[in-house]
Amino acid sequence: MRRGAIVRMAGIGIVVGILVTLVAVLIPWLPTSASEEMDRIEFVFWFATVICIGIFALVASVIIYSVLTFRSPPEDESDGPSIHGHTGLEVAWTVVPAVLVVAIGVLSAVVLSQNGNAGPNPLPVKVFALQFAWRFEYPEQNGLKSGELVLPVGRSVRFEMQSADVIHSFWIPEMGQKQDLVPGITTRVVVTPKREGTFRLVCTELCGLGHATMRAPVRVLSQAKFDAWVKQQQAGAGAGDKGAATFAAAGCGGCHTFTPAGTNGKIGPSLDNVAADAKKAGEDVRAYVKESIVDPNKVIAQGYSAGVMPRSYGQSLSAEEIDALVQYLAGSTQ
Amino acid sequence: MTAVDHGTPQESAHAPDPWAPRPRGFLMRPGFARAAWCTGLFFLIGMYIVVSIRWLAGWDPVYDWNIITPVGALTTAPIGFLLGIGAFDYWLYWISGRPTRPEDHSGHGARTWKDYFKVNTDHKVIGVQYLATTFVFFVLGGLMAMLFRAELARPGMQFVDTQTFNGLVSVHAALMIFVFIIPAFAGLANFAVPLMLGAPDMAFPRLNALSYWLLPIAGLMFLASFLAPGGAFATGWTSYAPLASEQPIGQIFFNMGVQWAGASSILTALNFLVTIITMRAPGMTFWRMPLLVWANFTTSLLVVIATPFIAGSQFFVMFDRILHTSFFTADNGGYVLGYQHIFWFYSHPAVYIMILPGFGIISEIVSVMSRKPIFGYRLMAISLLGILVLGFSVWAHHMFVAGMADWLRVPMMISTLLIAVPTGVKVFSWLATMWEGRIRLNTPMLFALGFISMFVIGGLSGIYLASVPIDIHASDTYFIVAHIHYVLFGGSVLTIFAGIYYWFPKMTGRMYNERLGKLHFWLTFTSFNLTFFPMHWVGLVGMPRRVADYADRFANLNLFVTIASFALGASVVVFFYNVIVSWARGPIAESNPWRAMTLEWQVSSPPPVFNFDEIPQVVGGPYEYGVPGARHAILSGGAVPQEART
Ligand code: HEM
Ligand SMILES: [Cu+2]
Repeated sequence: MRRGAIVRMAGIGIVVGILVTLVAVLIPWLPTSASEEMDRIEFVFWFATVICIGIFALVASVIIYSVLTFRSPPEDESDGPSIHGHTGLEVAWTVVPAVLVVAIGVLSAVVLSQNGNAGPNPLPVKVFALQFAWRFEYPEQNGLKSGELVLPVGRSVRFEMQSADVIHSFWIPEMGQKQDLVPGITTRVVVTPKREGTFRLVCTELCGLGHATMRAPVRVLSQAKFDAWVKQQQAGAGAGDKGAATFAAAGCGGCHTFTPAGTNGKIGPSLDNVAADAKKAGEDVRAYVKESIVDPNKVIAQGYSAGVMPRSYGQSLSAEEIDALVQYLAGSTQ
Repeated sequence: MTAVDHGTPQESAHAPDPWAPRPRGFLMRPGFARAAWCTGLFFLIGMYIVVSIRWLAGWDPVYDWNIITPVGALTTAPIGFLLGIGAFDYWLYWISGRPTRPEDHSGHGARTWKDYFKVNTDHKVIGVQYLATTFVFFVLGGLMAMLFRAELARPGMQFVDTQTFNGLVSVHAALMIFVFIIPAFAGLANFAVPLMLGAPDMAFPRLNALSYWLLPIAGLMFLASFLAPGGAFATGWTSYAPLASEQPIGQIFFNMGVQWAGASSILTALNFLVTIITMRAPGMTFWRMPLLVWANFTTSLLVVIATPFIAGSQFFVMFDRILHTSFFTADNGGYVLGYQHIFWFYSHPAVYIMILPGFGIISEIVSVMSRKPIFGYRLMAISLLGILVLGFSVWAHHMFVAGMADWLRVPMMISTLLIAVPTGVKVFSWLATMWEGRIRLNTPMLFALGFISMFVIGGLSGIYLASVPIDIHASDTYFIVAHIHYVLFGGSVLTIFAGIYYWFPKMTGRMYNERLGKLHFWLTFTSFNLTFFPMHWVGLVGMPRRVADYADRFANLNLFVTIASFALGASVVVFFYNVIVSWARGPIAESNPWRAMTLEWQVSSPPPVFNFDEIPQVVGGPYEYGVPGARHAILSGGAVPQEART
């Protein structure tokens, strides 16, 4: 290979490399990190990106250079030189990529183990998923239940997760970590929020009709505000407004609009009209609401399909909780 | 066993023929009329079996459509179809002791266009049948994609409800994977492999015909699921349990459709293996086989070993539904993750089933169009085998977030990363083949170059996904959608286009229009990148895959992607126009327009019914471009230069 060829090809390679690097740095590829785990994921991401830019620039420059230099017109009937191979080259392009990918592998393995380490004093949080809602429970906070995920900043959280029906998956994009919830087993994941803010928990495993909108609000607060939130929730639950607390904790608002609770879900019918719906079904409001919670497929509101609402509330909620919910829904709309 | 000889069909037409079949009426002749009533009859038989068992056992209801559908509509009716169309005639004659004749060539070769609609045993006809059928499914799958992209143009629901949306996504993927990419490669290989080996046909021509006719059954089953109560199967092409065992009945159309497509793949793969092992022309050692043959050899091994696993997984999901077994349900001791392990033990190798034949096509084209021997021929073949072996050791990289045993993640990551090595060897060898060549930038070569560059992007995004921490963030997001389309569309589909343009003159005897071919390439290449590249981004910043609705902040990117996807859909029109018009009226093609050395180009375009008038003698490697006096094979009529006898 002549010197000139190498120089020109290197030139093309550098131009391609710069263009690809610009694409890599100018586009905000990753969300602004909100957890220590995401920071480490970003580090591996950029490590891999540097290697990938190199490989891509190499391949692209060879293709571009070859097409520009070795292109020949159709009338040219000659053949190229009969090169069958080159052992040195072949060894090189087997060994060098192997070394590069092993480097990525080692770094990934180290980060993986760091990201799985919850440290000495993690906050335990239980996550329950069901078609199509999330519920959270805080064992250290006297088993406080919530439909919203509220976390203190700067402390590792150890999630223990269970699914009531099919496979769901837990992901807060800014925090990187993702973990499926599998019926029959308990899965775990560690997240260490590092900045305050509001985020979105989304389900990333296709779980049926309502999958796309199976989301839950996430708030990361300072430790003091978190403690205040816990107190307020516990007080609220004790003070008799059990219906509102259950409504929030059971995740009803994920699918239903209900003005008194300030929710605006769109998957199920709006509960603001529950009295009218009951009338349409020819039933007493309380009976209608109770039946809709325990056996949701019995009467299906106009424009919605059967099988969307979880059928498990009859078991997962206590009789008191159901009564409180009925009171809350029927009472607020009359 | 080779079931053909070299007699010409005309011979048998003239001689008085003691075995000539008695003339039969319209409804009794093999064909679509007989297929129609046989399908109906066999459906009734299946239904009768179910109903009588339920009646005898005293089960209520006697007419349970959850059972009648899988048995009658999805199992016995297709058998009736195959019987009616005539796929079993010869074997049934033989079994029942009626006169048969191994050299019966009445169903071999196409004399009119009508012969393409019959059971035909000619591998060239079958190859075209495969391609035509798979492209019908390609178009339908593509239209579905445009429909759900339209839905995704804006957040919120516009045209369809969420269950229909999930159904469209799932049927789109099932059509593309099981009845487009995999069998389109089988079609190209059907046409090219026996010719390249110097063989008169495949080893088992009647089995070959049967394999083809299994295919439309699978495709129609996927499509028919839209008519089922509750809509089409809507659990993605991966169809994870336990969701799949509690979905509406459309789901079993997937469970069973996969069985028919899988049976088709397995039979074809066995046929290829036997053909490649036993029917190579004299002198065609393994190290003289074209790389397309090598690629289909390894692919067939993958198919034969892996496909039974998806068959099992789908049967078990279906049994969980209709027999109340609990293979994959959490209650009664079932193992939910077992489904994913079994499914991916097939479906990871399946991604290589969907790309290795493409590697073979690209090797042919890059060498011929660069007028140079393929660089590192042996290492190219060995890396195929390396991928084959490694391909069975990486399935759980699809399960890094699934909740499987933690210790499996790092070993699976390492083997996945290592697979990039043989893959890289192939890419670098193609580049080295082009180096200092005499490159002809015609349509097949453009598609080959497009493939190499897009496949490199797909391979690199695969490296990100192989790294467990990154995959934990990216899994089940649009990043995956981007990755699979870079490897399956930018990879496999571009190689299918390359192969069709490359062999078009051989298949049809006519030349396609070069300018339209190039136009097709540039439109596809540009709109492909505009459609799929932004998906990497929207996935990484937070949009999950398989969602009918999304957060407002992804709206602009999604609108952009939707518009680009319509352009991508439109680009295919140029292809169809070119192929159809050129087939009908294109200029007559020479026998060897590319001046290639492999055997299929040494016979007329299209080739004679039995490919070679005389068995070729292979004397050298298939890619000896630029080697003075080198020959790959000697055919009768051609003078044999003394120095070529090596
Ligand atoms: C260097 C080569 C490659 C590597 C390292 C690689 C790696 C991966 C990994 C780790 C995943 C799992 C991502 C996840 O589910 O979270 C994945 C998904 C996938 N890959 Fe690849 N891949 C490579 C090449 C290919 C090729 C050649 C094909 C097909 C022709 C392919 C097709 C797919 C498909 C279809 C999926 C998605 C499956 C699904 O969930 O629907 N990949 N790849
Ligand atoms: Cu894979």
